[in-house]
Amino acid sequence: MLDNFNFRIIFEYLPLFLNGLKFTFLISLVALFLALITGIIACACRISSIKVLKYPVIAYIEIIRSTPLLVQIYFLYFGLPTLGIRVPEIQTGIIALMLNSGAYIAEIIRAGINSVDQGQIEAGLSSGLNYVQRMRFIILPQALGVTVPPLLGQAIVLVKDTSLLSLISVVELTRSGQTMTSERFMPSEAFLTVAFFYMCIYFCLKALADWSQRKLIFREAY
Amino acid sequence: MIEFKGVNKWFDKLHVLNQINLMIPKGEVLVICGPSGSGKSTLIRCINKLEPIQKGEIIVNEMSVHKPTTNLTKLRAEIGFIFQQFHLYPHMTALQNIMLAPVNVKKITKVEAEKIARQKLERVGLSEKADSYPAQLSGGQQQRVAIARGLAMSPEIMLFDEPTSALDPEMIGEVLDVMVSLALEGITMCVVTHEMGFAKKVADRVLFMDEGKIIETGKPTDFFDNPKTERAADFISKILTH
Repeated sequence: MLDNFNFRIIFEYLPLFLNGLKFTFLISLVALFLALITGIIACACRISSIKVLKYPVIAYIEIIRSTPLLVQIYFLYFGLPTLGIRVPEIQTGIIALMLNSGAYIAEIIRAGINSVDQGQIEAGLSSGLNYVQRMRFIILPQALGVTVPPLLGQAIVLVKDTSLLSLISVVELTRSGQTMTSERFMPSEAFLTVAFFYMCIYFCLKALADWSQRKLIFREAY
Repeated sequence: MIEFKGVNKWFDKLHVLNQINLMIPKGEVLVICGPSGSGKSTLIRCINKLEPIQKGEIIVNEMSVHKPTTNLTKLRAEIGFIFQQFHLYPHMTALQNIMLAPVNVKKITKVEAEKIARQKLERVGLSEKADSYPAQLSGGQQQRVAIARGLAMSPEIMLFDEPTSALDPEMIGEVLDVMVSLALEGITMCVVTHEMGFAKKVADRVLFMDEGKIIETGKPTDFFDNPKTERAADFISKILTH
């Protein structure tokens, strides 16, 4: 099968792919950073006992989790202009990824916080530490160890999700493949190359996840 | 020092504390025993409001514990609480475990807190374990660090919730020795335990609970040798034969 592949064409189109890779990388990085902030804020609201913070965030998380990302992207892409908000495609894409991953990250952080033994909270309570002090010194340091690996898992999902932005004509890695396909009609070569670059990003993040798993999980208490 | 006035508590329909009236004077060492599910742990957990109550009032040092306006931080800082499962912070060394509350609640300097922490570790015989993490310590050592952590806040009251129940038999002695020395120092103590040796040696009073009620109280010798109620006699005969 590989005999039929035209590898020369890949090298010819390499600048196009590298440009796509650059945008996939940058979009992922910005979206991930914003999603982390969204997730932290959403999680703080989600576990708060203040109802006006808690219930809207529950609605947000449930809406995101119950609908496909592509629908969310289309909704923002076609919906925002009808509301009179004109945003370039790339920003629309970043907003969609931020909102989508933010909801999942909020739940990942919440799971991490909930995984901390109730006894730890009681120990903090009984020595007079207030809510912020318990969070900062007792709960978050322990939650971090169990939160980082799934967070990196979510980062991997986010990188692959950026491929959906090709459907709203954002120039990124998948779009580069489509461009080459439409110009030279060599879809196998094009998407093999695209897949290869996604794999490169994946293995980098996976190495980071494995490393963090070894470094960050704290010793068991008992 | 600690006073229960008609305290009632329910877990849904289960009446865990039924009309508790109790006075614990300053310096008393009170041992609370009874079958599991009798409400003894719940009773001491109400003293520093780890559990809410539905009816009645608990007064500690003239503060009404369950009144919403009570300064809980101040109250809890005066009460040390020792858990069955120790609950040391696993990501901190023994020393850091002990220093956390004095530095952040009492707002003393780190230098001073470390001095106090080292004193308290020495007090429980674990000076050389200051930089060990909880996972590197045996159960008995962890519980002694937990006691040192409680003592570092110089509490007037220490509450113990089955402090030796999670320990291997050979480690119970080292924890009880620390508790005996505390009792002899005159600190007010409420201890939920079945360790009768401890009760006989240092308790001023034994309180027997069943089904959320205080069934019987008395001096340890009277209670263990001549229980007044049949329920208590039955309980004592059962823990003695094992």
